[in-house]
Order: sequence, then structure tokens, then C-alpha cells
Amino acid sequence: MAGVLSALPAEARILIRMKLAIMRHSMTGGKAAWMIVGGVLGLALAAATIWLGLALPAQPTVVADLLAAVYLMWALGWVVGPVWGGSTLLRADHFGLLPVPRRRLAVGLLAAAFVGVTAAVTLLAFLSLVGYAVRLSPASVLVALPAVVLQLVFVVLLSRVATVVFGVVAKSRTGAAFTGVLIAAMMVLAQSGWMVAVAIQVSGVLDTGFGPGFARTVRAVPSGWGVVAVESAARGSWWSAVGALIGLVLLIVLLLLAWSRSLGTPRRARVTIRGSRRVAAPRRGLFAGRTGAVLRKELRTWWRDPQRTQSVFVPLAWALGTTALPLTFGEKVLLPWAAPALALMAGASVANLYGQDGTALWLTLLTGSERADLRGRQLAYLLIFGPVTLAVAVGFTAWSGLVWAWPWVLALVPAMLGGGAGLGALLSVVALAPGPDAHKRPENPLEHGDTTGQANLMFWGGLLPGIPAATVLALGTVYDDVFLLWAGVPVGVATGVFLAWWLGRVAVGRLRAGGPELLFLMRTGRSRPARAELPKRAEVSKGAARTALLGWTLGSIALFPQGLVPMIFLLVGVDVKSWFLAMHVPGAYAWPIATVMVLLGSYLYFLAIKASRKPRATPGQDQQLESV
Amino acid sequence: METEPAAALRLTALHKAFGDTVAVDHIDLAVPQGSFFGLVGPNGAGKTTALSMAVGLLRPDGGRSQVLGVDVWSDPDRAKALMGVLPDGLAMPERLTGRELLTFLGQLRGIPADVLTGRVQELLDVMELGDAERTLVVDYSTGMRKKIGLATALLHGPRLLVLDEPFEAVDPVSAAALKSILVRFVAAGGSVILSSHVMALVEQLCDTVAVMAKGQVVAAGPLDAVRGDGTLEEAFVRLVGVDTGDREGLSWLAS
Repeated sequence: MAGVLSALPAEARILIRMKLAIMRHSMTGGKAAWMIVGGVLGLALAAATIWLGLALPAQPTVVADLLAAVYLMWALGWVVGPVWGGSTLLRADHFGLLPVPRRRLAVGLLAAAFVGVTAAVTLLAFLSLVGYAVRLSPASVLVALPAVVLQLVFVVLLSRVATVVFGVVAKSRTGAAFTGVLIAAMMVLAQSGWMVAVAIQVSGVLDTGFGPGFARTVRAVPSGWGVVAVESAARGSWWSAVGALIGLVLLIVLLLLAWSRSLGTPRRARVTIRGSRRVAAPRRGLFAGRTGAVLRKELRTWWRDPQRTQSVFVPLAWALGTTALPLTFGEKVLLPWAAPALALMAGASVANLYGQDGTALWLTLLTGSERADLRGRQLAYLLIFGPVTLAVAVGFTAWSGLVWAWPWVLALVPAMLGGGAGLGALLSVVALAPGPDAHKRPENPLEHGDTTGQANLMFWGGLLPGIPAATVLALGTVYDDVFLLWAGVPVGVATGVFLAWWLGRVAVGRLRAGGPELLFLMRTGRSRPARAELPKRAEVSKGAARTALLGWTLGSIALFPQGLVPMIFLLVGVDVKSWFLAMHVPGAYAWPIATVMVLLGSYLYFLAIKASRKPRATPGQDQQLESV
Repeated sequence: METEPAAALRLTALHKAFGDTVAVDHIDLAVPQGSFFGLVGPNGAGKTTALSMAVGLLRPDGGRSQVLGVDVWSDPDRAKALMGVLPDGLAMPERLTGRELLTFLGQLRGIPADVLTGRVQELLDVMELGDAERTLVVDYSTGMRKKIGLATALLHGPRLLVLDEPFEAVDPVSAAALKSILVRFVAAGGSVILSSHVMALVEQLCDTVAVMAKGQVVAAGPLDAVRGDGTLEEAFVRLVGVDTGDREGLSWLAS
């Protein structure tokens, strides 16, 4: 390492050492486990890419099509990465005051950007181009080597420029909506990406090759220029081979210039969202009185806060994306479930209402308006998500053309909306996840407390309110009784109303009893200790974090794609094998295997929940008030 | 029980410990009605913890807090209606404008709509927040945050103001405006307790002071009694025992 380092300019050397030091310090508990899991996943992806280049038994042009497509996905991964994973370790604004020319700083930061698991894994994946070139000709190998390096530099720089661009857009509501959709898209792909695999299998593209349009597109974008160079070299058309490489070099220079320019600009002006002028207190109507005041405040916050914008768009895009994905193989059966899925996920994204608003809780406590505050928040939630969910319910069920689905959708939607309003309110109070106050995170409005556990609880717990209505509906279906079937709708509405009222009442009681404690948690329970000498907060131990991570990951795989999905396939009689173990074994073993998978998944979830529960912080482990 | 009028704020054996660290150690404090009371002390003395417990935002381990004879922890609704509070560094409903925030709070406080509109306008005028009519609180500067915070504390016409570091990061012009509001409030019969570590300011405004150090009240009483012959700063240094630090080191600086 030292030998390589000494060949670099001084800034680059210092920055690389700094990054290595930061990485070393952050290799603790959960983060280290994430890094390892991420690294292993990345290695698997890289291995798959190399296998594509070296060994896929298909026509060379089909392999080139696939490689170019996969490189495009790697490039997109680098673009999306910063949105998903937060800020980079070395941020340019940390060095704003140093008397170093911008371009040299850019080169140094770029050199440091190559130090990391992601860059190493990507380099490995891009070496597949050399593997592919070996199949073609020695001349191609000669071109492939510089192409790999250029491709890597290109994606890393692209990612840096994308970070700058995203940083600017995320400050506006449109940007927040955009990142919300992006996050939802990644969730959909991670949970239900197997549907796309099924679609590819069904289409038989591996035998026939892609259409000419596809082949042209993946080669026209810069991530495919390496493939173009290698192919041209094999054909002996040197001009286009060298042209493609020079194109990459020019692009890299342009990106580097653009990025180094952005490093110098002082802090960009914030996108300020404006409020209304001269609005008096209403004497009557929806916004009058104490609950009305909170409702109006909440609706304004939903409308003006980028974080809230995001939490509207994540469930919406997730529900629509998941249920529309089977359309890729011409299946409409999931469409009616878009609305119940939206209601379910909406609850999961609002399970931390008080944590989001931070220490503003003091005003609620000082005015003794706990009940009005909680009810106002519930009402606002229902007013924001209710109409959208109903519209999706009607629109998507009609689109699907599945008449039998109407009573199911109309019964489940109110039950889950109401259940979500109750459960979300309760969780916001009893399982508050503190995050930084809004005015202390102007650089990234989307920063928030870690609510993974709450969101999981809401997702699974949010299914429960559907049970009474589902029972009536199932009975109606079994006995083929139209009256019973439609009786599910009032049952669903009643469940929703009751749960919203009752769980809300419990939450009000908890808020009244423990308000000062919640405020204390939000004042002090930040991830960063205020003073180094104070004892740290109780944290989940390394081992527990690893168990939790493995439990959530493996548990999800066992429970869904390997357990519940094959069960549904078996019930409905769909014969798609894909990667569902139960569908590959002889018929008699299919049900037992799927059942074992469900049990295994549930057990892993149980372990994960047990491990993620933080040891109750004793007062001695709490930090002192910051400003005492 | 008491023949003299109840104190505007009376803390009795108020106590709070965070683990081994005792933040506030059984303090007794009385803010007489109509007084302008200054609570001074170095960073970490326990001022914010004491005031948070006094107004009902932090649960004490022991002791009582009474506002005009009403217990803050056993009769919170009545006590909280009597006081206006400006805590240090806490968030507000950030996505509202100043006017929307005050109107929202007025509704929560149950102020009739027609009274509220006039009061909000008056407060915005006095605080000179009228120019930022459409700016959300999240985009306010530190000084503006203090001003809107003070406006929320005054809105319901309280009889006691509890202000934690009201002048920190406030520019001199705004500070002068805030001071004159507070002086008028006391002249009209209200009581103020404010915490600060700016001695000159406390000396200029307050008639009664208390000095806190390491969780204890080390001196309390009329300003002249506490400062004696010297300035408040000298008395403070003597009481708290600060090392003025005439040490070696930094010899290279400006050499």
C-alpha cells in the first residue's frame, strides 16, 4: 500500500489515509455487519457478471447485449447509491477552508473515492469485459484493459456528480418525492424482483436474443462504450475502437471539470418553501377548536415538509410498483390489492410522527393539548392518505376487471387505513425514534431517526386489522353467499373506526403520562454523544446487531419467496419454478417444505426482533441535557 | 398557610440526577412577585435542568415547583396557564410561518378568535417579524427564533415568564427591543426569571439574582446584596471559583 501511495500527489495520499482511518473507526457493530453483507452481495453480483462474460453459453452478440445492459445497471447503481446510503465519508465542504486549488482537491477526493469495497467489487465486475474479449481475439484483450479502467473511473465520477445533483434536488419537495419513488423502486426490486426473473424466463430472450432497439440503446449510453470498443477491435475496425475509448476519456474529463467546479461553490442557497399570509383563526368548521388547530398545522406540515412528501411517495410508489410488476408477464391478479398495500405501507411510513417533529413536543406539553394533538395528527393522516387510497382502490380494481375483488378491496381498505391511524399513533408514542430537529439538518432535510423496527412492526401489525373483515369475506366466498360477502365491508369500516379511536385513546394516555420523558429522549437521545466524556447511550451489541441483520434478511427470504409465495402458487395452481425451492421438489413434499420455510422465517424474525430490542437504558447511561 | 403573597415561582428541594451526575442538587429558590430575577451560572451549572423541571418539561427526582402557589406537577393545567416559557434550543412546529404558529398556539390556549387576530398582529409588529411574513420558522435565523419564542410565551398574557438564555445569539438591536418588552412586562406587575451567563446583562436588567454552580444555589437575593461592593462578575468569579487561566502555552500565537 505504501508503495502505491507514494506515487500519488500529496493531497490524494492524505485523503486516502483519512478515509481509511474513518473506515476503521466506523467498523463497529451493525455498520460492520452491513459492510460485510454488502461486500458479499457485491462479490456475488461481480461473480455473476464475470460468469456472463466468460462462460454464458450464448451467441457472442447476445453476451455483448447482456454485458452492456449489466454495465448500465452497475452505473445506475453508482448513481442511486448515494441516495440510498447517505453521504460519502469525505465531504468536499469539510475542506472548503483549505488553501488547495479546487482541481487538485477534486483529484485527491477522486483518488480517495476508489478506496472502498464498492469500487473494488465494481472493478472485479468490469474485468468481465476482459473475459469476454478473451473469447473474441488478442486485439480485443488489448483494448479491454484500458476500457475497464476508464469504465471504472467513469462510474465513480458519475456517482460523485450525481451526489451533488441529488443534494440540490432533495432540498425541494419535488426532489423529496423523486427520492421517495427511487427508494420505493429499490424496495420493490429487492422484495419482488423475482417477478422480473419470471418475466425473463417466460419471454425466452436467452435463446432468441434482444431486439435491435435494445442492443443499440445499451451500446449508445457511455456505460456500453467499453463493449463497443472490444467488439470493434475484434472486427478490426480500429477507428471506432479507439473512438469509443477517447469518448470515455473526454467524458471523464468533462465530469471531473463539472465536479471540481461544484466543489468551489459556496453552500448553495436553500430551496425555501413559503407559507401563507394573513390567515386568522377560524371560528367554526373543520379547523376550529383545538383539534382543528392541530389538524390545520399538520396538513400544512404534510404539504410543506420534504420529509413528509417523501413519506407519501414511498408507500404510493411501493404499492403501485409491487402490484403492477406482474404485468410484465401479463398478469393482472395483483392490481386490486394496490389499495390495501398502500394503506398498509402508509402506516409503516408514519410510525414516528413525534420523532419527526422532534422537540416541538414541548409546546404540546405546555399547553396540555396532548389529546387534541394526537387526534389532529390521526385526522390529518386519514385526510392525506384516505382519498388517494380510495382512488387507487376504485381505479385499480376496475382496471383489473376482477369483479370478485370488489368486496375484498372495499372491506380491507377502511380496516387497514383506520388500523394504521391507530397503530401508527400508538407506535409514535411508545416506540419513538429520536432524530435531529428540523432546523438542525438544513443540509439534508431527509435525515431522520432510525425507524426500521417501527416500520416492520407497522407492516406486520398493520395486517391484523384486516382479519375480522377477511374472516367474513372468506366465509362469504366459501359459502358463496353474496350477502355475507358484502357484509365484510361494514365489518371492515367498523374495525377501522374502532381501532383508530381505541388505539388513539391508549396513545393519548401514554402521551399524557410520559410526555416529559419523550421530550427528554428527543433532547438527548441523538446518535452523536454531546460530550465525549459522558457515558455512551445503551447500544445494541455487535453480536446482537449481526443476529438482527441476518434474522431480518434470511427471515424475509424464508418467509416470503420461499414460504408464502410458493404456498399461494400451490393454492392457485401456478406452475412457475424460478428460485422457489418448494416448486422444484416432487409434489408431495411441496407443502411441507413451504410450511417449514414459513416456520423458519417466523423464527428468524423472532430472533431478529429479540436482538434488535435495545437494552433498556438506565438513567446512568443517558446523556445529560446538552445545554445544562 | 403563608401570610405573605405566594411567590411567582417557588422551587422547594428540587432534585435531579442523571446516573452518577447530580445535575440539580435539592435547590430552593423563590422568585418574588413583580421581580425581575436573574439566574446565573457557568455552563453545566444546572440552570436549564432546573428551569425545565420548574415549568413541567422535565420530571424531577424529588421536590416541588409552584407557580403563584399552584403546583406545576400536581395541577399542571392551571399552573401552565399562569406562565409563559421560552426554552433554549427546542424545536417549534417548524413548517408554519410566525403568524400561523401564533394563531395555532392561540387556538390551543383557547383564546377567542377575534381577540387572537389582534394579539398576533401586535406581537408580530413588536417583534419586527412582519417583514418575514411568508418565511417558515425552520428558515428563521437564531435571533428570529428567540423573538418568535418570546412571542409564543407572551401570547396568552401570562403572569410569570420563564426564559432560558433569551439573549443568546440575539443581535444588539433586537436585544434592546426584547429588553424593553420585558421591562414593560415587569412594570405592569408581571414577574420574570431568566437564565444567562452574561453578567452585564443581568446586572442591567435584574433586581434579584441567584448564582448556581455544580447543581447548587451558592448565593441568592437582591442584586446589591449578592454583588456587594464589586461588580456581579467579580462576585460570580469569587462564588464559582473560576480559574482565570493566566497560563503558559500558545507562545507562537501572534509572535
